[in-house]
Amino acid sequence: MTDLVIAALCLFAVWTGWRVFRVDSMVRASFSLMLSFVAVGAVGVVLSAPYIGIATIFMMAVEMMVMAIFMVMFMMNPAGLNPMVMVHQHRVAAVAGGLAFAGLAAAVLAADPPAARVATGTDTVAALGHELLGPSMLIFETAGVTLLATMVGAVILSSRRGRFGPADDGSRPPGLEPGGPPAGRQPEGGGGHHHHH
Amino acid sequence: MIGALLLLAVAATLAAGTLLAAWLDRRLAGGGGIASLAADWLAGPVRTEAPDDMNRRLAPAWYLALAAAGLCVVPFAPGHAAIDSPAGIAIWGACEALTVVVVFLHGWSPNAPFPLIGAYRYAAIGLPAMLPSMFVLIAAALPAESLSLVAIVDSQRGAWNVLRQPLGLPLFAVAILSLTLRGPMDYADGADIAGGTSAEEAGPARALWQAARLAMLVSACAMAATLFLGGPLGPVLPGPVWLWLKTAGMMAAILALGARIARPPPARMLGLVWTVLLPLSFLHLLISGVIAL
Amino acid sequence: MSHLARLAATAPAPVFAAIGPGLAPAVERLLARPGLRRAATPREAALLLVAGAIPDRAAGALDRVHDQVPHPRRTVRWDGTGDIERALLDARADLLGGGESAPDRRPDAPPAPWRGKGDHGQGGEGMMGGTPYGRPMAMTGADIRDGLQLDRYTARVGPFAPMLPPGLVLEVTLQGDVIVAVEVQAPAFDQPAEADAPDLVAARMLRLLGLPGAADRVAAGGRPRAAGLLRAVPPGLVPVGGRDARDRLAGCLAGRSQEIEPPDLAALLPGLEWAEAMLALASLPPSSLAQEALAA
Repeated sequence: MTDLVIAALCLFAVWTGWRVFRVDSMVRASFSLMLSFVAVGAVGVVLSAPYIGIATIFMMAVEMMVMAIFMVMFMMNPAGLNPMVMVHQHRVAAVAGGLAFAGLAAAVLAADPPAARVATGTDTVAALGHELLGPSMLIFETAGVTLLATMVGAVILSSRRGRFGPADDGSRPPGLEPGGPPAGRQPEGGGGHHHHH
Repeated sequence: MIGALLLLAVAATLAAGTLLAAWLDRRLAGGGGIASLAADWLAGPVRTEAPDDMNRRLAPAWYLALAAAGLCVVPFAPGHAAIDSPAGIAIWGACEALTVVVVFLHGWSPNAPFPLIGAYRYAAIGLPAMLPSMFVLIAAALPAESLSLVAIVDSQRGAWNVLRQPLGLPLFAVAILSLTLRGPMDYADGADIAGGTSAEEAGPARALWQAARLAMLVSACAMAATLFLGGPLGPVLPGPVWLWLKTAGMMAAILALGARIARPPPARMLGLVWTVLLPLSFLHLLISGVIAL
Repeated sequence: MSHLARLAATAPAPVFAAIGPGLAPAVERLLARPGLRRAATPREAALLLVAGAIPDRAAGALDRVHDQVPHPRRTVRWDGTGDIERALLDARADLLGGGESAPDRRPDAPPAPWRGKGDHGQGGEGMMGGTPYGRPMAMTGADIRDGLQLDRYTARVGPFAPMLPPGLVLEVTLQGDVIVAVEVQAPAFDQPAEADAPDLVAARMLRLLGLPGAADRVAAGGRPRAAGLLRAVPPGLVPVGGRDARDRLAGCLAGRSQEIEPPDLAALLPGLEWAEAMLALASLPPSSLAQEALAA
């Protein structure tokens, strides 16, 4: 039964992965990829790794959402009124795809998967938590804080409101003396001081 | 046997809760109520030019399915949930994340400018607004030392989390408003974009989407009751009754709150989320951690 | 009448108003009544209220709005006299009882045949551009804020757009939510002085702040009973004569009427986000956006 469920999920993952290249809009492609990852996450849940599986699902939901937003930002093309083709550079893509498949297949065949069954009742979520926050604590905390700082930084950079006024007015600091040149280092090429009115 | 009973309880709670939510919406928040749902259902369908028909039809169904999945992890009696997963709280988190995707698709699929603006506007606010809610979920798991909602309910036998984690419920209320497209967090359906993601929708599709919004309110409020108000814990009355009472109370509070707080333009709300709500949720995590120690 | 229709009949009648010259304040007060619901979009409505004599320049737009109302639908005309609420409720009851629905006024077809480009019909340059169905697709263009080039989407909004004063037609170019260019194609219809009444201006702003209930209360002469009204309006939004939108909302809530110089929308709105721009427009008395004001 478990084998059947896993096989069905794998087929779904492959099919939605294939759809990524067949649909005619970037947003559809993003969410096809998300469905593919959701199926992979569900395989994780079936294989007694509930936390990893569910975390895959919600992280992929957020990531593909961000990706779809970028697609719409750069191509404001709702619902694919203007159909696009999702594949280009066919030869390079075919070679890269073939190599990646061969490499992964070799890795799968060469690997020695653990054969011992996880005993029923084992608290795998707690075991994973001890692993992450025990020996690997420093790595995860460092990565986490770095990513958070990156996120906050990106939001600040994209914000219209600068420290010294709106970004489209240059957000320049006041002069050190009244009417003097702006304080601080001068950005090359006039910085963000653009006017296109 | 108990499993089937719990699934039945989930379905019944969702159906009855949605009707109650519609009634409360009309009484407390000036919403359309059950009668408006019926009126929408009777109107004819509309079709826009070159829509994404599949996503347009599926969006309300996904939204409803997420509400149902979220409610499945809620324990209806101490020790019993329809899905008693060791990572129950992560399942709810995944439902929150997928809700943003569904609302986006709902606005993207009609192929029209105002729904599209509503869609990405909601995603831009909904994603960062989800961060505090994730920290709130993690904090609620601290005293229980488990991600299982059954364990989180058990950990509240001494004192409810609303007392131990005073910032948790207000922060989670923001997440509920965002998940159910209400009041100050309803960036999908603003009046300045003619109803946003629902601007090009009529007939049964509109009725289903509005019903799914109310169903999500039921789910999210049941989750709030579980995380902060002890869920099914309480004297004399049986567990499910306590859960229903607390959920109904939360629903009334959220509806009243949503109708009484102004919604700033998105850029201003984005600043508020990153500079006020996110630091507050860190503080909340710190307080909850220290108390749990 | 089926059970569902009987239940539906107890709901407030959803009305979308296409307002002509002279009747804006009367319609706004009418739709604040409890038996009627102001539809946010024609798709939400069952009744199309055509108030006043719609000028010829807006006749095509009126037909388009009419065809967007889902079946069963009915148009109710109002010249400002008589019991219009009764007429609307009667029309609603008749529709729910199986009354005839008004047919389309325009053909349901794209305005032009498909004119896409590219090997796969994917547009013009690269994967963008082209004019499928006669609609020019968005293309990247210079950004007015930080130089990041994003798609520019141009659309015409008005004259019956519910977030704008009736009659005003704007051709707006958007990059996401940010307005990069505005052209006023037609001014707002002339309205009586009551349209500038502080309670109506405040009600329009409250509706944009997501508080339709509070807006109806204010339009009916009550208090808004809602929190964070002033702080929701960004400071420094479209200052006119030293007073920004927040000051204007505070003044309106205090019942002070305002005198405003006609603003130059094409200069004021670019750089604002759509929600802010609509809030700023709602904070201005409609008379400052009408014919002679914009011509001056």
